Amino acid sequence: RRAVEGWRAAAGRSREFGESVRREIQAASGRWTGASCKAGYRMDDLGENTTVFSTLRSFNNFLSEGSAPLPRSSEPSSTSRMLQLQYEQMIQAEEQAEYVRSHSRIIEVEREKQKMEVSHKRARIELEKAAQTSSWNYEREADRNLELITQVKHMQEKEAEVVAKLKDQIDVNKSLKEDLGLQSKKLQDKEEKHAETNQMIDVLKSKISEQQRKQMNQEMQLTTLSTERQELLEQVEVQRKKWQEAVQRSQVLEAAQVVIAEKEQRLKDLENKITQQEQDSVIVKNMRSDLARIPELEKELRQLKEKNAYCKEMEDNNSLLKEEMESLRKKLQRLEKVKEEKVTLELEKEKLLAKLQSWENVEQTSGLNIRSPEDLSREIVLLQQRELVLKQQNSSVTTSARMLEKTRQQLQDEVLKLRTQLLSEQKKREQQEANARRMEKRNILLIKARDGMKGILDSYDNELVTNYSPQLNRRAREAEDMAQELHAHISELELEAELSVLQSQLAITDRSITNEEGNVLRQKIEELEAERSRLDQANKVLEMKLERYTLQGDYDPTKTKVLHFSMNPWSLAKEHRITEEKSLKEECEHLRERVQILEGGAVPEQGGSQTNLPPSQEIAEMRKQVNSAELKNQRLKEVFQKKIQEFRAVCYTLTGYKIDVTTENQYKLSSMYAEHQDDYLMFKFIIHVPDEFHRFLAR
Amino acid sequence: MAGKVAAREQITLRGSASIVSEFFSYGINSILYQRGIYPPESFTREQKYGLTMLVTTDPILNNYLKNVVGQLKDWLCNHFVQRLVVVINSIETNEVLERWQFDIECDKTMTENSQPREKSEKAIQDEIRSVIRQITATVTFLPLLDAACSFDLLIYTDKDLEVPEKWEESGPQFINNSEEVRLRSFTTTIHKVNSMVAYKKIDSF
Repeated sequence: RRAVEGWRAAAGRSREFGESVRREIQAASGRWTGASCKAGYRMDDLGENTTVFSTLRSFNNFLSEGSAPLPRSSEPSSTSRMLQLQYEQMIQAEEQAEYVRSHSRIIEVEREKQKMEVSHKRARIELEKAAQTSSWNYEREADRNLELITQVKHMQEKEAEVVAKLKDQIDVNKSLKEDLGLQSKKLQDKEEKHAETNQMIDVLKSKISEQQRKQMNQEMQLTTLSTERQELLEQVEVQRKKWQEAVQRSQVLEAAQVVIAEKEQRLKDLENKITQQEQDSVIVKNMRSDLARIPELEKELRQLKEKNAYCKEMEDNNSLLKEEMESLRKKLQRLEKVKEEKVTLELEKEKLLAKLQSWENVEQTSGLNIRSPEDLSREIVLLQQRELVLKQQNSSVTTSARMLEKTRQQLQDEVLKLRTQLLSEQKKREQQEANARRMEKRNILLIKARDGMKGILDSYDNELVTNYSPQLNRRAREAEDMAQELHAHISELELEAELSVLQSQLAITDRSITNEEGNVLRQKIEELEAERSRLDQANKVLEMKLERYTLQGDYDPTKTKVLHFSMNPWSLAKEHRITEEKSLKEECEHLRERVQILEGGAVPEQGGSQTNLPPSQEIAEMRKQVNSAELKNQRLKEVFQKKIQEFRAVCYTLTGYKIDVTTENQYKLSSMYAEHQDDYLMFKFIIHVPDEFHRFLAR
Repeated sequence: MAGKVAAREQITLRGSASIVSEFFSYGINSILYQRGIYPPESFTREQKYGLTMLVTTDPILNNYLKNVVGQLKDWLCNHFVQRLVVVINSIETNEVLERWQFDIECDKTMTENSQPREKSEKAIQDEIRSVIRQITATVTFLPLLDAACSFDLLIYTDKDLEVPEKWEESGPQFINNSEEVRLRSFTTTIHKVNSMVAYKKIDSF
């Protein structure tokens, strides 16, 4: 960064210098534009060093020209002019010199400026390089820093891990120490056990020594026993030899026995043969006798066959006759039934005739103008109509009677009610009269009391008695007593009035008890009404059921019957279905037979239907074709085999190399002149050729 | 046409019978088309009752309908018919899937020679149109007929009616476990036709 700043400062300074140089040049050019118009110099022509030299030469020429005319300056008039000219020339020369100087200065400055710029550029480049390098360095440093940081972290982690491992190790150490302690304890135990075992070993050793002693004794015994054994062995051998001789003798005996057994068997066989031959001879004799009888038997056979045929015919006839008989019996039965029916029908007919006669007599007996059942029915209709009319009248009359009864009952009830009301009102009136009387009596008493009071008060007013108060008090007390008595009397009267009212009510209830019959009737009415409602509900339920049955299609069989057309679509559909089923079954059977024939592959039975023959012919043709194709295949295979063997042999003899196919895509190339059989090359055939090879081939 | 509607406002017995039998003819065709008993391409359009009615072109079916409706018209004039039922059943399982029932209440006092009744043909047509529209609308709630189906026409008549040639007695072809819906009715003042449909409940729950 500092280098950059330094470079920037240098660049700024060079710029300022350049600008100052330019300003000087401009100023100089401004001075010289008037003077150097003739010369025609341009300010931009900085690189032209030749101009400096040209001006210097001109300046030198001018000076030599100037110096030459100096010695000639003798004339006074021309000398002044010459002096003036010289002065002017000197001024011009000075001016030119100044110009040249400044120009040279300018050029130098510009050169310096170029240098500066070059150096400036170099410095800039260097600075850039430095900056780049520094940035790279910085980046490197940063990366290194990051790496170092990550390394530090890693190290820290590792440290942590190591610390943890240390801890684990310490724990492990502790555990190991503990284990060591345990194991040392175990060792001690084992050592103790070892000591014990050593003791045991000593004990056992002592036992072993004892055992050895015993063993020695036993060995001695053994030797004695062995000598005995040898003696016994010798005896055994002697015995064995004897046994072998015995065995041989027994074998010989057995062989002899076997021979004897065989001979006995042969004897038996011969005896059997003899018996059989005897039997055969007997049989032969019988056979001869039988043979003699054969023609007789044949005759009998013929006769029996004829009889048999005759019997079969007879049987057939019998069965036919039986069938005829059965049919005749059935006919008989039917005829008998018909007879009975006829009898019953005749009876019915007689009955009906009797009825008819009676009906015809009705005409005479009833006295009406009846000649035919239609008239009778008409009469009946008329009678029914009359009956209906009468019934209607009857019903109307009964309804009117009922209504009248109802009104009568209502009126009776009203009468009763009115009577009770009357009585009650009468009683009320009497009570009220009594009350009125009592009230009047009370009234009179009160009037009397009032009069008395008034008289007393008047007497008191009239008399001039000073001391009124005791008498007044006395009178007041008397009046209060009177009032209380009156109150008591009034309450008594009120009680009596209530009692009278209750008594009247009791009388009314007594009267109501007399209406028990009415209540009974009312109860009966309620029961009847309940029953009526129940019957109404039952009626409704039955009506609903009836409606349901009519919806379902129920009918009264006594009045209606159900008819339908014989040739109706349903029966046609059923028959159609049955025929379809039959045809399908037959087709099924046909197809099954065909399938069996095809699967069997045998010669088709000529007894089958016509449709079987063509397919079987086709099948035979197909089979022939298949066989011929197989034969062709076989022949081709053989021919191919021969040819390929020939070809391979020829290749081998001509080229000297043999190619064998070991496995799929692998070929073994072996030479005729190979020293060993193992000298061969293996090649693998790759179907997929690489693209480069394709390109190679294409080129 | 001596028996037909003489004036637009009056109906005779014959005229009423022809109106009702015509309604049945178109109604049965409509039911067959709506329920897909026959393929829809075998039906052609006709204008009737102010609606576009679909009528079958299958000759065997047409012949059968003509026979039945003709006999029905004859019986209507004589007040022998109580009910007409269109039974739709599955061909495979032979069970009844739907029953379209038309109850006919007739005024027995009306005969060939009675006075014609006052009712305008237009009013009757309006009523018939609403019935047919309702039949078309019932398709929305009737269960789908998956399997191939066939139909049969049953007529409930009086017990003592003489069974003509080519006809025979049959069972009533009830549906077990059915749901019934009562539809509109129309009347010509001589014959009143109540319609209802019963269909087999789908037990899918």
